[in-house]
Amino acid sequence: MAENTNPMLLRVNNLVKHFPIRRGFLKTNVGAVRAVDGVNFHIRERETLGLVGESGCGKTTTGRCIMRAIEPTSGEVLYTRSNGETINLPELERDDLKDLRKEIQMIFQDPYSSLNPRMTLLQIVGEPLTVTKVAHGREVEERVAQLLRIVGLRPEYMRRYPHAFSGGQRQRIGIARALALNPRFIVADEPVSALDVSIQAQVLNLLQDLQAEYGLTYLFVAHDLSVVRHISDRVAVMYVGKLVEMAATEELYYTPLHPYTEALMSSVPKPDPRATKRRIILEGEVANPANPPSGCYFHPRCRYCIDICKEEEPELLEYRPEHYAKCHRAEELSLRGVGG
Amino acid sequence: MADSADTRSDVVGGEEEQTIGVEEERLMVASQWSLMWLHFKRHKLAVAGAIVVGLMYFMAIFHGFIAPYERATRSEFIFMRPQPLVFNDGENFSLRPYVMGMDAAMDRATFTRTYTVNEDIRYPVKFLTRGDEYNFLGLFKTDVHLFGVDRPGTIFLLGTDELGRDLLSRSIYGGSISLSIGLVGVVFSFVLGALLGGVSGYYGGVTDTIIQRLIEFLISLPTIPLWMALSAAVPAGWSAIQVYFAITIILSLHGWCGLARIVRGKMLETSHEDFVMAAKLSGSSDWRIITRHLLPSFMSYLIVHMTLAIPGMILGETALSFLGLGLRPPVVSWGVLLQQATNIRTVATYPWIMYPGLFVILTVLAFNFMGDGLRDAADPYKV
Ligand SMILES: Nc1ncnc2c1ncn2[C@@H]1O[C@H](COP(=O)(O)OP(=O)(O)OP(=O)(O)O)[C@@H](O)[C@H]1O
Ligand code: SF4
Ligand SMILES: [Mg+2]
Repeated sequence: MAENTNPMLLRVNNLVKHFPIRRGFLKTNVGAVRAVDGVNFHIRERETLGLVGESGCGKTTTGRCIMRAIEPTSGEVLYTRSNGETINLPELERDDLKDLRKEIQMIFQDPYSSLNPRMTLLQIVGEPLTVTKVAHGREVEERVAQLLRIVGLRPEYMRRYPHAFSGGQRQRIGIARALALNPRFIVADEPVSALDVSIQAQVLNLLQDLQAEYGLTYLFVAHDLSVVRHISDRVAVMYVGKLVEMAATEELYYTPLHPYTEALMSSVPKPDPRATKRRIILEGEVANPANPPSGCYFHPRCRYCIDICKEEEPELLEYRPEHYAKCHRAEELSLRGVGG
Repeated sequence: MADSADTRSDVVGGEEEQTIGVEEERLMVASQWSLMWLHFKRHKLAVAGAIVVGLMYFMAIFHGFIAPYERATRSEFIFMRPQPLVFNDGENFSLRPYVMGMDAAMDRATFTRTYTVNEDIRYPVKFLTRGDEYNFLGLFKTDVHLFGVDRPGTIFLLGTDELGRDLLSRSIYGGSISLSIGLVGVVFSFVLGALLGGVSGYYGGVTDTIIQRLIEFLISLPTIPLWMALSAAVPAGWSAIQVYFAITIILSLHGWCGLARIVRGKMLETSHEDFVMAAKLSGSSDWRIITRHLLPSFMSYLIVHMTLAIPGMILGETALSFLGLGLRPPVVSWGVLLQQATNIRTVATYPWIMYPGLFVILTVLAFNFMGDGLRDAADPYKV
């Protein structure tokens, strides 16, 4: 894969986010939801890393911790700026953070909640420009018109309010806002999962075009494996706050090493134009991130579980070049991917 | 780029757009407030309510000009029933209204006054005529009234009270007090509620807990006994203006609690919206987020809440004054006027002294209709 030689853009080391659980009158700590519990991965420039997993496994939290939209509990997020300087995002001061916001942006899942209904497109898309004082007056208008054109909307729309637009168009508006400051890296949190299947493809294509044109790097969060396969160069699979497997897309889809990935694959719907958005449905309950099982978190649901799995937690190891898995039996099992 | 431009064309493209008329285009560029107005307009009863409320406040502001007499002007006609307006000049129909002359007599047997209509004397109603002197909006003295009749004629359209004072004029003067208490009270509540609710929602933690417990305590107190106890504690020696503000503050003690809860709830709710996070991620300051994103998104709810709180305040003042615990004569408010109606014999003999109550009912109903319409229009984005 050509991407492998690109310089590193982001390296996440042992990222942890625990949400304290407070109960009772005095709001004492009675434990923590381990939403993200020691996640490691890296993204190279101009690459798309897909992050998949069932609902509640911590994908959104991971994305938001990287963005510093919420403060991570611990861990490193090493980001390499365009000038080659590498900085650790969780340690940044507020003022430096503001500067960095121009390079890292976010696209949201819900095209309704993500646009303020009381602002016009000009105000919404222009907000990043005005608050960072990158542009003033007429310049803002010109830049917004240009951005709307880039995402495939007419510049004349800029006086309209979001209620005049459909879900797909709103998502384009969100993308235009994310592009306003010329970012290098975009965290896209399920950007198409709220859209109709026919619109999903259009928005995905737009994202790919933008990546090619502006050299963007994406962390693409999704629960829909076919969407992830369409857009990602590499895919990371998450289960209860931890990565369980990470590999190049096709390798992961054809020769998965982790039983959880195999189970996910088996639930990928056959290509069907009428199929609507589909959550992954596996047997058994997702483990509770406030009280995870012993050993391998996946063992209560795993078909291949042996004794050691219940006691010892496996490590995320590189079993093949650039193919990581977190399973005691990764080497001996031969699992079925989407192909067979 | 080329092939995706094709697939995109139906979202962006022609067909759908060309059919869009001027009307739709206007909707698309309509701000929150114009959308609210569109919703509100459809609610006929609410529009009627708003008009009545508007007229009431107009009347309250220009009370001196609209009322034919000064609130304290006495006449010899004690407890006289309302004088009707007639539209004929004795022989023919005329568009100009007249009031007929009244003859007073004393019934020697019962010592009550009786009034008979004197069909022969008619006084034409004159507009912009001279009468009692009053202070126009506190700016200058004048004696021009909206309407009136020449002396010795009288125009007591709602009858008179035990001192021969015009009940219509007194009701109009009373309206300026009662309606303004509602407004001032709501402003008090708003300032307190928005401030404490905002602090509670924004800072959270211990501050939030303390404020919430305080609100729960205040809300758990029953309104009427609390008001009564507090107003009974207002010193008798206080001037009219001091009593006025004391009563207003007492009435808004409860009002701010509800408002604070709404502000806090909405603050928490909207601060979790993605657009707020988007604003943060673009580098917006806290101040900008509060004033541009949070406040505007629940301002309309606050206005609805305040609209619905005003009639409660007006009723509260009326109730307190009616019980003799609120404002006291010579201040004139609707409650003070109704105080005369506490005696069942008086009410039975002179039923028109209940008329000020009609103003209260009309105002409260109008406010409620208007508030209903506003509530439906408050969130024009809900589907
Ligand atoms: N602010 C919070 N306070 C407490 N717990 C939280 C908070 N945010 C998320 N969690 C918990 O952390 C876990 C991970 O949540 P997260 O939203 O990251 O999952 P997700 O993978 O994005 O799921 P989905 O596919 O539903 O979006 C969940 O158990 C969730 O309940
Ligand atoms: S470690 Fe054991 S339980 Fe866990 S996934 Fe591998 S085989 Fe299954
Ligand atoms: Mg999520």
